[in-house]
Amino acid sequence: MAIAKAERLMNLALCLMNTRRPVSKRELRTSIEAYHEGSDDAFNRMFERDKDDLRELGMVIDTIESLDGEIGYLARRDRNRLPEIALDAEEAAALTLAAKVWQQARFAEAASGALQKLRAAGVPFDDGTDDLPAGAHSALEPRIPAPEPAFEPLMTAARERRAVAFDYRKANAVRPEPRQVEPWALECWRGHWYLAGLDRDRSDVRVFRLSRITGRVRLRGGGFTAPVPDHVDVRATVAGWAGDGSTGSTARIRLRRDSGYPLRARAVEILPVDADWDELEIPYGHGLDAWLAEFGPDVVVLEPAELRADVIDRLRAVAKG
Amino acid sequence: MANAIDQTRRMLSLVTYLRERPGARVSDVARAFGVTEAELIGDLNVLPLCGTSFRGGDLLDIDTDGERIWWHNEGALAEAAHPLRLAADEAAALLVAARAVANLPGLRDSDRQALLRATAKVEAAAGEAAGASAGLSVTFESEGSVFADVDRAITEGRRLWIRYYSPSRDALTEREVDPIRLFAVGHTYFEGWCYLSEDRRTFRLDRVAEIKLLDTPSDPPRIEPRDLSQGLVQPAGDDPEVVVEVGPGGRWVAEYYPHDTAEELPDGALRITLRTPDPGSLRRLALRLGRDGRIVSPRDLADSAQKAAAEALAAYGE
Repeated sequence: MAIAKAERLMNLALCLMNTRRPVSKRELRTSIEAYHEGSDDAFNRMFERDKDDLRELGMVIDTIESLDGEIGYLARRDRNRLPEIALDAEEAAALTLAAKVWQQARFAEAASGALQKLRAAGVPFDDGTDDLPAGAHSALEPRIPAPEPAFEPLMTAARERRAVAFDYRKANAVRPEPRQVEPWALECWRGHWYLAGLDRDRSDVRVFRLSRITGRVRLRGGGFTAPVPDHVDVRATVAGWAGDGSTGSTARIRLRRDSGYPLRARAVEILPVDADWDELEIPYGHGLDAWLAEFGPDVVVLEPAELRADVIDRLRAVAKG
Repeated sequence: MANAIDQTRRMLSLVTYLRERPGARVSDVARAFGVTEAELIGDLNVLPLCGTSFRGGDLLDIDTDGERIWWHNEGALAEAAHPLRLAADEAAALLVAARAVANLPGLRDSDRQALLRATAKVEAAAGEAAGASAGLSVTFESEGSVFADVDRAITEGRRLWIRYYSPSRDALTEREVDPIRLFAVGHTYFEGWCYLSEDRRTFRLDRVAEIKLLDTPSDPPRIEPRDLSQGLVQPAGDDPEVVVEVGPGGRWVAEYYPHDTAEELPDGALRITLRTPDPGSLRRLALRLGRDGRIVSPRDLADSAQKAAAEALAAYGE
């Protein structure tokens, strides 16, 4: 029935756009064939859904009550028309490249819908009918991975400034725990999606990884209780989890010659010890012990003692089998 | 299958588009809208059924002979032919993507400038709808200078020499590569024909320790670009199976490694089954996990991790 619905939405859109006076629901029902059949209740429900769908497409539908109390609807030209936008061919090409990044169907459709509207407004997108010189632009294909199911409800809640509740399993937690969050921002970094917001029970900012949200995201009553900051540094928080965050202190290790390139790449200092070993000073942050353990017998931690003990502890667990 | 809302979105733009282009070619319009000709014909079959019949029966008089498209009464539904403002979702999808790409280190400056100008114009035209993109952002990680060199090699058709770090072997190798494409999925990668492995390979830019553009023209064998929609790592069905058991502290393994199954065990533990062409590459994972998890099978992988840990401990006098 997809055709029937698109035809109905199109008719409703045209009726609402091509009128200067508000059109009543009754008038719309008689003039749009798809609304003729069914009970009044069924029509009312269908009409409300259709209006919502058109609004989702960007249409601003005004509801106006006339003197005799009848409700009328119209999509005013001045509120619905895309303002003049003049993009040159280079700007249009750059935007076309960017619009292809979404791997998730809904965003991909929305981005291409935006381009269609701009194209209809006269923006000179390359239709494939003109030949652009090869190599005029970066040969890049960026991709934004499809987010988890929690993404859409969180995005809507953030936009509408409404609190949400969900079950969340922290990285080391045995089981998920309920959280109440005022969602501020969603960010994709290194291919994973994160939510930053106010954790109501902890009265503090928290960053959540979307893949650790279990079950449904539910809307909570009431709006935001705290102002939304201009910027939340999601990346710094996540880098801290991943062991990339540096505390400013350093560690000294021995590293076998020709191994551990990433350790060398971030070393503050590298000194040769003998034919087989170098001594490195590297930034010491959370998670360094796990990373160093990966190198097995190619790394020996010298100091601090705490890091040395952590690495030995990890190695013992593996050596036990 | 075409979703009714997306079809409506497209048809509204189509009407505006066709008004400016009497006699437009079906093939050109289909390409411009990114649909097949059959889909476009489907839209063109619906449009003549749409209009404002309550005002005396003005329906869109749009028809096609299969090759060109004509609109005979475009004056009758003048308001329908105005471009519609951007919806909040549309503005967000476009602006978030444009900002993400514009911030990519290494992007050509001319592209970056064009994108920033376009973004500002779209923001202005979107008005309030642009606000929906405020809480959304995407960052692509990239190594600017390596990116610029690979980009240049692709556009100039030149071979690259790289020193590349392979984490699974913890070693640097020198290779000559004919780059084919650059893509970003969180991190930025390039795909190319590698003359060391005589096969196609994907390289992550932040693992390129050194890079040089050679004067040799690039001459890769014809290969189909990989389909990235199924994810970057696509193990083959006959790759060896690895089973890892992790406690709550090792559950991240299921987030980072594509796997076949992740079975819940008591107390927040997981049994993860994955496939990899080179199980030896997972020794690092076993060493990293410590008490948070262990390799169950294959046995020789578990043994090699155990042996490496014992050897490492010897250096501490244990």
